[in-house]
Amino acid sequence: MTPRALPLVVAIATTCIACAEARAQSADLTVVWADDSNSDVTFDPRVTQSRHEEQVIIQLFDQLIYGDPTGKLYPSLATAWQAAPDNRSVTLKLRDDVTFHDGSKFDADAVKFTFDTIVDPATGSQGAVDILGPYLSSDIIGPYEIRINYKRPFPNAIDSFTDDRLSIVSPAAVKKLGNTGFAQAPVGSGPFRFVSWDKGDKVTLERNPDYKWAPGVFQDKGPSKVARYIQRYIPNAATRVAALEAGEIQFSELTPPLDMRRLGQSKNFKTMVGVAPGVPLSLMLNVSHGPLQDIKVRQAFIYAIDRPRLAQNLFFGLAKASWGPLAPTTPGYWKGVEDYYKFNRATAMQLLDEAGWKPGPDGIREKDGKTLQLYYPTLLEPDTSVAVQADLKRVGIDLKVEDVTKARQDEAILSNGYDVGAIRWVYNDAAVLQIPFTTANIPAPGKFKFNWMRWSDPKLDDVIAAAGAAASQTDRDKLYADAQKMIMDAAVFVPVHDQIQTIAYTAKLTGIAFARGNWQARLYDVRPAD
Amino acid sequence: MRYALRRIVGIVPVLFCTWTIVFAVMQIIPGDPVNLMLAGVPASETVRANERHRLGLDRPLGERYVTFLWRAAQGDFGDSYRSRQPVTRLIAEQAGATLQLAAGGLVVAVVLGLGLGLIAGLKPNSWRDTLCMTIALAGVSMPSFWIGMLLIYVFGMTLAWVPIASSGVMGLILPSITVGLFIAGGFARLVRASIIDAMAQDYVRTASAKGLTRSRVVLKHALRNAIIPPITLLGIQIAVLIGGAVVTENVFARPGLGTMLVDAVLNKDLPLVQGLVVYTTAAYVIINLIVDLLYGVIDPRVRAERLA
Repeated sequence: MTPRALPLVVAIATTCIACAEARAQSADLTVVWADDSNSDVTFDPRVTQSRHEEQVIIQLFDQLIYGDPTGKLYPSLATAWQAAPDNRSVTLKLRDDVTFHDGSKFDADAVKFTFDTIVDPATGSQGAVDILGPYLSSDIIGPYEIRINYKRPFPNAIDSFTDDRLSIVSPAAVKKLGNTGFAQAPVGSGPFRFVSWDKGDKVTLERNPDYKWAPGVFQDKGPSKVARYIQRYIPNAATRVAALEAGEIQFSELTPPLDMRRLGQSKNFKTMVGVAPGVPLSLMLNVSHGPLQDIKVRQAFIYAIDRPRLAQNLFFGLAKASWGPLAPTTPGYWKGVEDYYKFNRATAMQLLDEAGWKPGPDGIREKDGKTLQLYYPTLLEPDTSVAVQADLKRVGIDLKVEDVTKARQDEAILSNGYDVGAIRWVYNDAAVLQIPFTTANIPAPGKFKFNWMRWSDPKLDDVIAAAGAAASQTDRDKLYADAQKMIMDAAVFVPVHDQIQTIAYTAKLTGIAFARGNWQARLYDVRPAD
Repeated sequence: MRYALRRIVGIVPVLFCTWTIVFAVMQIIPGDPVNLMLAGVPASETVRANERHRLGLDRPLGERYVTFLWRAAQGDFGDSYRSRQPVTRLIAEQAGATLQLAAGGLVVAVVLGLGLGLIAGLKPNSWRDTLCMTIALAGVSMPSFWIGMLLIYVFGMTLAWVPIASSGVMGLILPSITVGLFIAGGFARLVRASIIDAMAQDYVRTASAKGLTRSRVVLKHALRNAIIPPITLLGIQIAVLIGGAVVTENVFARPGLGTMLVDAVLNKDLPLVQGLVVYTTAAYVIINLIVDLLYGVIDPRVRAERLA
């Protein structure tokens, strides 16, 4: 070696060492996600009903089809799919190179096993069984080809396969561990595998080194850059933020809006906001008794609330005012709702005058010796309740807000002892409308259901039923648009603001992606930001 | 020994009564466990009916009560409604974290409480007394969520001496101070009052007259007599801690029985509530027993009374 070459050799050697170090760092990359809940009970996708549990499930399991937040579909465990013209079955071609974390092979049997056990009452499915719809049976066509059959037309089938609750589980592991054992030590085929779960404290997952079947949307298909994923339970929001700033955690979910703004302005942190599809935070007006039987009072109620200002004050613009029974991110959203009931205090007062409610001595309106008082028991968002209360008071409506436990609220709902009730639902499809709006879902003693407006419109029931069985997407969207219009015309439902997931994370990392539904985040693609 | 045995047998009727009361209360308070479990979930009627059957909620009340008592008598508290795991295992998993916090709190409470109480009580109405009692008052008055956040801000973020939300010994420091400070406050005030009282007794004057050193007079003669009321208070407080410290657990993101119990009650998870009631009742009785036995060790007069 000539002396002149020496510096070059040193430079190359140093660079190599630096490279090796960088790789070593990335090989050890541990990320901690701070979760708001500490009461996870199962990580079995077939059983769960909790979006916190789904945050873990989504890292552990693969779905047949991958749906991105915009609703675009990509091959995942299934490489191709075809719905029958009558929408009563779907045929899927499956990957032949996927293994579960326990070493067993993924095939058509695993899909059949997963779906058959979801509908088995012994599994005790709380979410998946409803997502799976009118499932009838699975026909195994070949080791990697399967046909899923439905009892009646189910146009939503292909979409439903993107839901993490329909993730495919390892049949060998379920048989070995039993349902309860599997819930505590789940086995999937996803980019991370389960290591341990310290109840109420944390869940630890590690990279699946054999992973090479990431969905089409990702550039790399191989093992994640993240070596360990730890989900810490930190139910106190201020503690989550403190831990993020102290570097103890890398991701904080449900970050308070004020902190989101501050962290977003700092160069050390990044933020992302997800608008959840489904039903926004809304008030339901009970039309079965009292002043709210009168549509003019209901319209006045909605006109009186300045929703954009409310959202701005409470969420600093992170959450927007909502105008209809579906959030704008929901497939099937009808834009026409945005023309309804824009804030107008004068209109509200005029409507109340016309309805015969005249201002009393203390400003609260009266009619036939009764004051315009409405009882609103709720366990959601005290700040929002108070803001709504203040706006209503200015037109002469006395909203009596009571913060109650879930149990107390249920009692009021079942016994019809309320005028207003609050609701919100994360759901990936307009089909959610059937739950709060159909006649069959009016609560009755012993039957806890969600039409808290106690409002029955047979025409709406027909439209929603027809939409659920529609043969084409165009028909379906048209019918759901009609349903949204009917709901708005009846003035029984007060959308208030979008539900938002607010994630703050360290600027040292990049690659976090919202899963479908804008709530859970996939950390498969997370890597150092440089 | 016979005394201890008699006390332990005495737990049985206490447990029977608490179980019955808890069972009754859980039936009376509104809310259906299945609805609570499926809070905010668009679950169909099929799901609800399946769950009700799985939990045995479709069977008559009397049958459920008898089944429950019979199983509990055999030490089987059943499976939690929500998590479907055996209650005894769930409690065992969380008990460690709670006991650690209780032990940490005890250390802080004894060291701080005894120190403040003695400094104050040996020189009543001095500036030292005022200072110590102000600290003690602050300890009992400040809510633990506020102390907790303050400690996090100062020691976790500004000084960065200790981790904010982590397990292990370092992670135990701030929560221990948070719960310990509260107990230390009451403990210190009682130590002060008792020691002032004891220092005025004849035997203390005699001991001093015999020419014993001041520290020997205080520690051997005065404190030993003065410590019984404060120890009783400490026993009760520690028993409360062993039942869990909900607010502190929340602020420091610690697992524990307090959080577990609150969740279980809110979800009407009857088997888990019952299991936790047995656990906390046992903790109370055992701690009280230890305190009672300690009386005899500390004060020979108590021992003599029991033997008589």
